[in-house]
Amino acid sequence: MIWEVFRQEKTGGYHTHCGNVHAPDREMAQQYAAIQHGRRKPTNSIWVVPRDEIGEINDDEVAFGGTTDRSYRWATAYNTTGEDASEVVESEDEQADAEKRRGEA
Amino acid sequence: MAATFENPADLEEREQMALSTLLKRLGDDEFVLAERYTEWQVRAPSLESDLALANNAQDELGHARLWYDVLEDLGFKERSLVFEREPSDFRHSTLVELPFEEGNWADPILRSYLYDVAEELRLEALEDSTHPKIADRVRKIQSEERYHLEHAQSWMERLADGDEGHERLQDVLDRLFPHALTLFEPVDSDVEADIVDLGLRDATLEELREEWLSVIVPYLESLDLEIPEIDQTDDDKLEVAVDQEMLPDERGRDGGHTDAWFDLYDEFTRTYRELGRSETTKIMEKPNEQ
Repeated sequence: MIWEVFRQEKTGGYHTHCGNVHAPDREMAQQYAAIQHGRRKPTNSIWVVPRDEIGEINDDEVAFGGTTDRSYRWATAYNTTGEDASEVVESEDEQADAEKRRGEA
Repeated sequence: MAATFENPADLEEREQMALSTLLKRLGDDEFVLAERYTEWQVRAPSLESDLALANNAQDELGHARLWYDVLEDLGFKERSLVFEREPSDFRHSTLVELPFEEGNWADPILRSYLYDVAEELRLEALEDSTHPKIADRVRKIQSEERYHLEHAQSWMERLADGDEGHERLQDVLDRLFPHALTLFEPVDSDVEADIVDLGLRDATLEELREEWLSVIVPYLESLDLEIPEIDQTDDDKLEVAVDQEMLPDERGRDGGHTDAWFDLYDEFTRTYRELGRSETTKIMEKPNEQ
């Protein structure tokens, strides 16, 4: 049985998928994951999840983000004065970054 | 007397002997068990179990290093403790030196269980050692040892659940139990008494053995395993008379070892000898400098 393993580096951080382990049950999966995925990198917490319990939808089944042009949703589509509040500037940077990465995907 | 171990150079001969004997018991057990564990590398039942046992072996080597390092305060050198030491000077129990039965995973699992319970108890008895370095290092070691015991017990319970696994565990128990008893044998009874009198460890070997039996016997019985040669006279109270006849011919602690130990010794010292070494390679700082 395969258990997917998610590692959290620091309290409050996300548990990020880092691999899997073969184990007959949860207890053994936890023990193995501690060694296999928590030994060499800073680790605060580990989740083990039976692979069969994970629901997946992929690009073939769903058009993620829709198919029509919705660039109006992006702050970067608008001209700004350059003197906006720092929150707006930050948000704009985040969106520009997200857009860029969306293009790469 | 309590503070004398702060300055190892000032120790009297009797104190030095007690300290070095205790440390050899501790360090040699860990070192030799780790040597044996590594034989399972790439041979364990799955990648995961392989890594888990290799991890435990690494832990044990790290613990041996902590104990050998305290021995170095008494003037010993790493090479004289490991690569250039007379094999008959090693004080480990015969439990850790026996070769594994080929392909029998129940062997390292049960061996680890029998050993790690004893290890847990003797570390507890060292928590308030009059030697400050020993007391300090015990804590470092205990958290790693907890994993070893959990790992062994997880496997024991799963192996005991099936007919074949149960039968294998019983066979291994019959073979290993007498050797596990040597964990509590004296190197020399006067020196062992000194170890306790000087407060280096606060339990005698007999007390540790009683405690060990009171843990392992009910646990093994809960898995329907029979402890060889143990007569329980009273259901409520564990009365186990361990007599000398139950012990194997070689006791390990007194320097008497099985032939398998001398083969293992030849193996791990081979490279050192073949390369004509006279010093060990230093790749890490001493533990107390970390």
